[in-house]
Amino acid sequence: MLEDRHNIKSWFYLAPALVLLGTFIFYPIFNAFFLVFLEDYNYLRGTFEGFTLTQNFRYVLTDPNFHLAMGNTMLIAFVSVPLSVVIALLISVWLNAVPIKRLQGFFQTIFFLPYVTNAIAIGMAFAFLFNQHYGLVNWFLGLFGISPINWVGLRAGWGTAMFSLLVYVTWLGLAFKIMVFLSGLQGIDKQYYEAARVDSASRSRIFRRITVPLLSPMIMYITVTSFIGAFKAYTEIIGMFGERLGPAGNDRAMITIVALVYDALDRSGTTGALSEAAAAALILFGVTLIFTFINMQVSKKRVHYG
Amino acid sequence: MEQAVYGNEKQIKRRRRIRLGIVYALLVFFAIFILIPFYWMILTAIKVEADVLRSPPLLWVSPTEWQFANFSLALERAPFVRFIINTVVVAVISTIGTVITTVLSAFAFARLNFFGRDILFFILIATMMIPGEIFVITNFITVVNFGWIREQTYFNAILAMTVPFMTSVFYMFFLRQAFKQVPDELYYAAKVDGKTDRQYLWRIMVPIALPTITTITILNAMNTWNAYIWPRLVTQREEFRLVSNGLRDAFDEGIGPPLYHEQMAAALIVTVPLIIVFLMLKKYIMRGVSRSGIKG
Amino acid sequence: MEITLQNLTKVFQSKKEDEVVAVDNLDIVIPSGKLYGLLGPSGCGKSTTLFMICGLLKPTEGRIFFGNEDVTPVPPEERGIGLVFQNYALYPHMTVKQNIMFPLENIKMDKKEGLKKAQDIADLVGIGHLMNRKPAQLSGGQQQRVAIARALVKSPRVLLLDEPLSNLDARLRLQTREEIKRIQRETGITTIFVTHDQEEAMSISDEIVVLDEGVTQQVGRPQEVYNKPNNLFVAKFLGTPPINIFDGRIEDGRLIIGDANIGKFEAPDQEVTIGIRPEGFKIAERSSFQVDVEFVETIGRDTTLIIEHPNVETPESFEDPEDDEDKVDTSAIADEFAPDTDDKDMDFTPKQSIRSAKTFRAIVDADYGVEPGDTVKFSVKPHKMHVFNKETGELVKPDA
Repeated sequence: MLEDRHNIKSWFYLAPALVLLGTFIFYPIFNAFFLVFLEDYNYLRGTFEGFTLTQNFRYVLTDPNFHLAMGNTMLIAFVSVPLSVVIALLISVWLNAVPIKRLQGFFQTIFFLPYVTNAIAIGMAFAFLFNQHYGLVNWFLGLFGISPINWVGLRAGWGTAMFSLLVYVTWLGLAFKIMVFLSGLQGIDKQYYEAARVDSASRSRIFRRITVPLLSPMIMYITVTSFIGAFKAYTEIIGMFGERLGPAGNDRAMITIVALVYDALDRSGTTGALSEAAAAALILFGVTLIFTFINMQVSKKRVHYG
Repeated sequence: MEQAVYGNEKQIKRRRRIRLGIVYALLVFFAIFILIPFYWMILTAIKVEADVLRSPPLLWVSPTEWQFANFSLALERAPFVRFIINTVVVAVISTIGTVITTVLSAFAFARLNFFGRDILFFILIATMMIPGEIFVITNFITVVNFGWIREQTYFNAILAMTVPFMTSVFYMFFLRQAFKQVPDELYYAAKVDGKTDRQYLWRIMVPIALPTITTITILNAMNTWNAYIWPRLVTQREEFRLVSNGLRDAFDEGIGPPLYHEQMAAALIVTVPLIIVFLMLKKYIMRGVSRSGIKG
Repeated sequence: MEITLQNLTKVFQSKKEDEVVAVDNLDIVIPSGKLYGLLGPSGCGKSTTLFMICGLLKPTEGRIFFGNEDVTPVPPEERGIGLVFQNYALYPHMTVKQNIMFPLENIKMDKKEGLKKAQDIADLVGIGHLMNRKPAQLSGGQQQRVAIARALVKSPRVLLLDEPLSNLDARLRLQTREEIKRIQRETGITTIFVTHDQEEAMSISDEIVVLDEGVTQQVGRPQEVYNKPNNLFVAKFLGTPPINIFDGRIEDGRLIIGDANIGKFEAPDQEVTIGIRPEGFKIAERSSFQVDVEFVETIGRDTTLIIEHPNVETPESFEDPEDDEDKVDTSAIADEFAPDTDDKDMDFTPKQSIRSAKTFRAIVDADYGVEPGDTVKFSVKPHKMHVFNKETGELVKPDA
């Protein structure tokens, strides 16, 4: 009865999920490794010249856009993630300090809104916020006597466009982090705070010595997953700049690694395109892996698991 | 220090009130930062075009001058209602599929004992590390080979957009945790009462795990609402598209004036349904997210 | 329904190849229509036995008979049993009514009839007015009654209760144990329950079996087992406060503790372990058993004297993690029960640990007015004293 293994029955329960996972997750993983080693593969004709270790990687790495894409991806990740983690942490601590439950819920709802919006729709709104002539940002700067800046308009520069994009990406990333931190804070035993107060520790000391260490596993988790997410930045850019991936006249200025993958996929009928897509995706995977590994090494030393 | 600790009650109260005041001020500041894009979207959507193209911008439009015509203009530009219907259809089908496959497999992982269970589960968890772009390449070829792309019918488009997303390792993991919290005794009690595993799953486990299933449903539906890349790859005709693609494509031609008032009206049409759903199901969404949901 | 356990054995196989014998060759006959208690410390195999009777666990060896029918290969749902779990295992999303009616679904009972039956049973256990509540809206005692009602609704041949009182507070415990007794009498169903609490077992069972490490120690009516323990384990396990244990010896037909003569005992000279119930002491002028009183606790008409004595054997705790069944590597036997995993099992140990090393308790009449520091002389009531072999722990009987 209970001791028995239910082998046949179990596989019956697993079958629907496993068939789908096999087709759309496992097979693609193996196939990506297969594609990347094919020389001049053309999937429409089903032909390839032979096998190659490096051709496709070399092709991606020497793509004139690759360095820009890698630089943009890294910049987006390394600016927006730390920034949004810190802001989200502060907001959640403040939220947690609100004594009136209803008011706390009200603020919570507002801070959660970016999570439930459509990235394309809100990206379009951001683009218009940064409009040179009619946007709110330049109007606000105008109050301080700053003349209108061409953030994202015709032939806008890489710097201003990237700045606008970073504001948007940071804004978009806050909601999820605030919710996770807040639930983490609410899970911390109040006794720690009472004990600290009895010891007459100051507010900032309590934050640094109690809140952050106790929340550190969560901060770590959020940081790692956010970095992995940020490495895949793409939809946000589409939302703000459209398929041209940059200000008009400065096309592709905001290109990322993922964008390279989809570029290649769009040319899927041409020789070598799918292999290049696979190479770009695997490079992205490699970056993610290395980053996650470094993070885990660091967290082993720093993170306090209570 | 002495004084800080033993300061009289009034002082302490005042200090606490000041501190709370600062906290409220900071929260209000960031709340405004969060709300501005929404306000800007709404404001632009209800302005007449002349007011949209005015510098400095108008920061307020009195209710008597609200322009609802922008919405009908937006709806003429592209079939947004159609996009919304497509999105709902895709969301419903893929969610039903996801719930069925994840409930069944999570049950096997949580409750049944079979050869290779732990190894299989570990392998599944490991795939969560891998960026989706790797799958997309091959999956695109796969759906082409399934005949769902060329000379596409609506039915094929729906298949292409739903079938690859009818399961999820993350939700499986999430649900398994919920199932594991159901005490074993309930299973034994059901056994004594002569229930089969299947009856136990659907009559006992699923109702108990309903909050988690609701959360999964909502998160999955939200992902569909935001899906951009895959629908763009696999839909061949404009009327098959989902909201994100439809919205982007409608204003991505680069010809003529940018029509910000129409853009924002369309963006609002796409944004509002999700916000309404959120406000109705706030409890479940927030719980799902704070229990470590992952977006995207 | 008389239940016979024949050579019942259960061996748990763990991953690390070591076997744990949870139940060892059990031979018990449970009389029909009685309330029968399986009593023993945590890890004694009592829950394992219960789950084998109900069919959730398969015995490694041996057979189980309900009357003349061999039910060993019969799955739980066809055995005609009702099982009440320690934590009640009520379905949280169903109302009381739905919970009680759930077992009826599979026996194709007419809906109306089922409803009536459920109501009758609910009335019997006194929760008839709570039919539309959810379990979370009920107190612990009410939940317990729902669980009993759910177990009874199928009119089982046997009712099995796993630690029925352990999740209740002290006041409810008293009330509920009367209730269980009443329900058992009214329905006349053979009822077996498992407990680690000897007081509970003694107070409600018609008959008990004391188990230790999967082996039967003694079977009998509660008072009989209490008064005439077969061995040291049973003597120590039954009784609150627990029996006092002394190192002693038999010398020339006399029982000696230290150098005090306790009484006559005709048996060969040997070292023995002597158990004396706290109520077995009498203050007497003419006795050589002289002690100094350390503490005095007076509760009502009884006074408990706490006395240090060099020959007292330090009471062992019954909580020995080594032979705990929950140490079985359950991952290896994933779906297998880990019997007695509930830590409520342990809740009798504090009582024991109050007794520090080398002290014993004597309960005497408050009228004596003994004060701490007094020196008193005790005589011992022979029927409250038990003598055991120092090596085996078996009872030493005086030569007739």
